[in-house]
Amino acid sequence: MSELVIDRLSKHFSGTRAVADVEVAIDDGELVCLLGPSGCGKSTVLRMIAGFERPTSGRILIDGEDVVALPPDRRPTGMVFQSHALWSHMTVFQNVAFGLKLRRLSRAAIREKVAGVLDLVGLTGFEARYPGQLSGGQQQRVAIARCVVLEPKILLMDEPFSALDAHLRVRLREEVRAIQRRLGLTTIFVTHDQEEALTLADRVVVMRSGTVEQIGSPSAIYAEPATRFVAGFIGTMNIIERQVTGGLAKLGDTRIAVDGPDGIYGFALRPEDLSLGGAWSGEVQRVLDLGAFRMLDVTVSSETIKVQVDKSVRILVGDEIGLDIHEVAAFDGEGRARPARVHGTIESGVRLHA
Amino acid sequence: MTVERTEARRFPVGLLLVAAPVLLVAVFVLLPAIAAIVSTLRPDAAGWSFSAYARFFGDRLSTGNLLFTLVSTLVTSSALLLLCLPIALYLRFSSGRLPTFVQSVAVFPLFVPGIIVGYALIRFMGPNGTIQTVLHAIGINGFRSPYLTPVGTVIGLVWEGIPLTLLILLSGLAQVPDAAIEAARDVGAGGLRILTGIILPLIRNSLTVAFSLSFLGVFGAFTMPYLLGPASPEMMGVFMQRTFSELQDPLQAQTQAVMCFLFCAVVGVIYVRSVARSRRKSA
Repeated sequence: MSELVIDRLSKHFSGTRAVADVEVAIDDGELVCLLGPSGCGKSTVLRMIAGFERPTSGRILIDGEDVVALPPDRRPTGMVFQSHALWSHMTVFQNVAFGLKLRRLSRAAIREKVAGVLDLVGLTGFEARYPGQLSGGQQQRVAIARCVVLEPKILLMDEPFSALDAHLRVRLREEVRAIQRRLGLTTIFVTHDQEEALTLADRVVVMRSGTVEQIGSPSAIYAEPATRFVAGFIGTMNIIERQVTGGLAKLGDTRIAVDGPDGIYGFALRPEDLSLGGAWSGEVQRVLDLGAFRMLDVTVSSETIKVQVDKSVRILVGDEIGLDIHEVAAFDGEGRARPARVHGTIESGVRLHA
Repeated sequence: MTVERTEARRFPVGLLLVAAPVLLVAVFVLLPAIAAIVSTLRPDAAGWSFSAYARFFGDRLSTGNLLFTLVSTLVTSSALLLLCLPIALYLRFSSGRLPTFVQSVAVFPLFVPGIIVGYALIRFMGPNGTIQTVLHAIGINGFRSPYLTPVGTVIGLVWEGIPLTLLILLSGLAQVPDAAIEAARDVGAGGLRILTGIILPLIRNSLTVAFSLSFLGVFGAFTMPYLLGPASPEMMGVFMQRTFSELQDPLQAQTQAVMCFLFCAVVGVIYVRSVARSRRKSA
């Protein structure tokens, strides 16, 4: 249980910038997800915390102590790798006990600790098996046990479930969250799966091209994206470009008030923030039944937007429908969020939602 | 049903594909080997007898040469592993131009015929060769050339065996994932512990294969022992040739060959088991 501060951390590979001035402070016992597309630098940040990459500049403070100069084996961190990284010539017991043996614990203490941690990850009885005799999920549990048994101050997880099937991923995600809460481990979890990040994390750090785009709780990241990139990356989002003149833009018959200078803006609309019944009309191109709801692809003013409707609503491809906008976010030419609200329809002029 | 039919059709095709090489090995290797073994056990029309082997083991020169070959082979094979393992580790875990250069140099002997290497080594380490000349120039005298000594044979065989051993070890090390090393560092293992606890066990099969192949190659070597080795004791390859062509004693030459075959067969079994284990693992 510890605090971690990443202070203006940068990493260049042969002159190419991989990470630039990343700053994150992680509280004791917090689970933070580094989320971003492939190549955004999230794994590099994790590897720098673990000590496998040396930062070009910046500091990594664990409980106030700068660990940048320390090798991986002297850092109070434990890492779970994407590929499990189990040692195939060792049994489950030997894999978990390896780090304890290096710490010269007595045989009895090693046995006790290994038994305890295997019970924690639900692998009691698997001690004598080799990694090749385990399923992918069981292998990843051994990797977690191998890390947790050493009681690291910071647990680092590098896309640990990306090689597993969807069902197993969801189950292990819940198990990891339970273990992390039970042990109160400060944890950094790297993923490119937004659903994983939003369901698992206390806070999410969204990264792009080596920089931090936004840090916030999953709900804040989803509801109030700070940049156009975050808006597009998290969840399903319709982004439509319109001219803002005199602080107003027009989406169909709806006026949007924007607090910013005139220019081209990107307006972000969540499918669930649109409803049927307005005067912004379009033709349904596709109907996707997603179980709990239906997703429509609607062509409006030559643009295709996604609209979420209740599964009881009967709509067919080719139907003409009208849309109403409830919530909207606006992003200026540089992709930064600007305060925006639905101002009303052109006909009524003054209908306010916000 | 369809799968069974396809399998049934594929079966004879597979057999036909391996038939030609198996037939060649049977006709040109197995049959002569069996004929040689039989002829050593039936030296004359009188019937079965171990007299040829009794003569071999009763001759101190023969047993001395066999022992010398065994020791030289073990020393050479061990030296090859000890020399090539650090190079392979360096090449596996480094990047840049220098490792590429080192690999090119290490694999270079593969492209040089053994007889040329032999004469080059004579000029290098022999009497009045490069080493002696350089040492003399800097005031160091009394250099004892390893040429025509057991050490000379080992040096030549090691030089010749480096590329194959190195390539086998490199292919084994390529199978060791970076994450396995990093995971060991992460739990607190230092360099030596990673080598002994993680890397060496993970490449055990490659080490066995490298040792077996170098053993098999060195045990029956001829060119290097002939050019660089001592006149007595001599390695079995040279001894067999001399027994056959100079002493004109084909029976004893065959007996010596059978003895060599028996030693190599033991190592061959170890090699085959190692390959089979590695195939089972990857299946």
